[in-house]
Amino acid sequence: MKIPRLLQAVLVLVGVYGGFVLVFDVILEQVIPSSLLNMYMFFVAAGTYMVFTFNEESTEQIVAPIKALVEDPSRKKIRNVVFVVLPLFFGLFTYQQMKPSFEAPLELRTIHPAPPAAVKVFGKRYNLLTLVNPYRKFEKEDPEKFDELVNEGGAVYIKNCQYCHGDKLDGKGPYAQGLNPVPLNFQDVGTIAQLQEAYLFWRISTGGPGLPKEATPWLSAMPVWEDFLTEDEIWKVILFLYDYTGYSPRSWEHE
Amino acid sequence: MRKLMSFKFINGLAASALMASVFACFPVSAAPGDVENGEKIYMKRCVWCHGEEGEGDGPAGDLLVPPPRDFTSGLYKIKTSPFDEDFPNDADIFRMISDGMPGTDMPAWKDILKDEQDRWDLVAYLKAFAELEEEPGKIVDYGTQIATSEESIAKGKEIFHEGDRCSECHGQDGKGDGIKKLKGDSGARTWPRNLTKPWTFRGSNDPRDIFTRISVGIPGTQMPSFANPKSKTMLSIEDRWHVANYVQSLAKTDKVVRAENTVVKANRIEGDVPSDPNDPIWDTAELTTFMTVPQIFEKDRVFKYSNDTITVSAFYNETELAMLLEWDDRTKSIPGDPNIDKIADEEPFEDMISVQLPVKIPEGTQKPYFINGDASNPVNLLSWRSGTVDSKESANAANAMGSENIKERDAASIGLSANSSYKNGTWRVVMKRPLVTSDIENDLQLVEGRFIPIAFANWDGSNSEVGSKHTRTTWYWLLLKPADSARPYIFALIVAGIIFCGLAWWARSAGHEQDQA
Repeated sequence: MKIPRLLQAVLVLVGVYGGFVLVFDVILEQVIPSSLLNMYMFFVAAGTYMVFTFNEESTEQIVAPIKALVEDPSRKKIRNVVFVVLPLFFGLFTYQQMKPSFEAPLELRTIHPAPPAAVKVFGKRYNLLTLVNPYRKFEKEDPEKFDELVNEGGAVYIKNCQYCHGDKLDGKGPYAQGLNPVPLNFQDVGTIAQLQEAYLFWRISTGGPGLPKEATPWLSAMPVWEDFLTEDEIWKVILFLYDYTGYSPRSWEHE
Repeated sequence: MRKLMSFKFINGLAASALMASVFACFPVSAAPGDVENGEKIYMKRCVWCHGEEGEGDGPAGDLLVPPPRDFTSGLYKIKTSPFDEDFPNDADIFRMISDGMPGTDMPAWKDILKDEQDRWDLVAYLKAFAELEEEPGKIVDYGTQIATSEESIAKGKEIFHEGDRCSECHGQDGKGDGIKKLKGDSGARTWPRNLTKPWTFRGSNDPRDIFTRISVGIPGTQMPSFANPKSKTMLSIEDRWHVANYVQSLAKTDKVVRAENTVVKANRIEGDVPSDPNDPIWDTAELTTFMTVPQIFEKDRVFKYSNDTITVSAFYNETELAMLLEWDDRTKSIPGDPNIDKIADEEPFEDMISVQLPVKIPEGTQKPYFINGDASNPVNLLSWRSGTVDSKESANAANAMGSENIKERDAASIGLSANSSYKNGTWRVVMKRPLVTSDIENDLQLVEGRFIPIAFANWDGSNSEVGSKHTRTTWYWLLLKPADSARPYIFALIVAGIIFCGLAWWARSAGHEQDQA
């Protein structure tokens, strides 16, 4: 059986929308902002329209059933139904749009903003493009010393960071639930595994208030660790983060 | 295995979750642990809190509440072996490792230590610290579980209060506010569980778990066994099930933190807004509960905290906003009051609550820094203090541009007032403020229908919380919900009308065309 072109177009739109909701809301359990979904659906609708009205013939196939509905006297019954349902639908839509919403406004923020070229902390200026972890070299040169440094980093972590980022570095520490935005999950492949150690140094030492505006520095509960930790302690805790999760930091060098 | 089957039979109607815990009690597959592998895992995962020698003295040891377990004692709080057995069954230790202990820093390890054998190896290693060998191999006699029912809960309630059996420590409403100084085996101060907060139950609030705690007690704490025939307060198995059902019922509260609840919704009312915290109108308000976390973001930090949630509701009328701030606090801290001196470890300060609002409603996304604002984005701080024996409770106001720059203001000139009540472990404070004030530069002007950032801070004075040492929230929202308006209906009707007319006109003109053709 051949599906009428108009129905095909409608099915495409419904299918895309349903698929989107199914994948993101149901399977991934990520609630997608409706504004984003609307924008996306607008482009899908525009694309569908273009494809289905590519030439006169296909335009005709799309328009014909609509024209027939309005103009063909034999379809009076369906027409009456449509004439009642359509205004009701748009009326309801208008009501839904105008009804005051009591849902919290959405706050979009960049999680990994672009770092500045340089950062000023501990009374010094660090060029983030060239900054390296001074202890990283021991990983190959002196593994025993390296383990010791990792251990010292672990002690710093457990005394300062675990409350939010968790014993397991999964961002689910005992205070995590009370924070918005939520603490970063270092076990996730999308976090420290994608970053350089210099980036972590910047994020840790300047904390939430050191974020650029697009990352909402006023919301982040990440402390300014420059106030609590030494430079040394920060480099050691960075060693620990990578060692514990088994990830390697990104570097400029080819591996 | 036969024992397991009979258990299954008895619990034939039990939920599957319960079955899982039954299996956990009878680890049929418990292979002997490999101590060496256990040590390897311990040194990577556990040593940070529990220490190299297992004495609970890792680097974080003295910062955690409750303190990490000292494995050398062999005592474990959450166990299923009967009260007269000092030590736990292996499965008890296994369970704590796998599922963690809610309300503590101990997480559930089963998602990282995916291989069960790894966890059994850890059990073997932990036991070695106390030179434990054979497990008791016995579990509490559960008899026949009595399913929860109104009748059972009522019986449980009676037993709970009879001779102050449980309420002596857990309080009249179960909020753990019984005035008694308790200590754990590490010497650290312990507090009776607030039974209305199930998410803090170390071993879950399933009635079966509660039954186990009542029967076994909590080793290393002052929670006794109520199965001990030598005790005057001993309870029959049946009675223990009733109490378990009652305790579980206490946890059914509407004051639960939910991630999606981020807005305090103030409903509009006619007439005066309530100033009495016990005004019945508050029962009709919409509640929003937030978790408060210790202030560990700026200097001076606090790690040992006691209060962990705050519940907020609000009403407004043409001129005023009234907010009810409600939180569980085991101690009513009135400095100078002998009652508080008896229970506080150190000289107490006043209890306090503070509401933080931006001075200007943000136009874009930018808000003031969530702790006391910042230089270019000031905040209003509206607070209440519990008072001392010499001074009454008070409403206070301040403006802040960062924690280093807080200026006290005259609360009366803003029109701020606060009234409190304390009962059975709960503070209720009503704070009132006019919607608009004369000082437009320095005061937030409250507007209907706008989402206004709001944050809260809480001080438990008897827990040495003062100044920057307190618990707090990050930014949430306050919304003065506009009264229902007819506009959406009118517009909907107009749109529907236009579309209908358009369609009708189309059909008509099409008809004409056909006629002409």
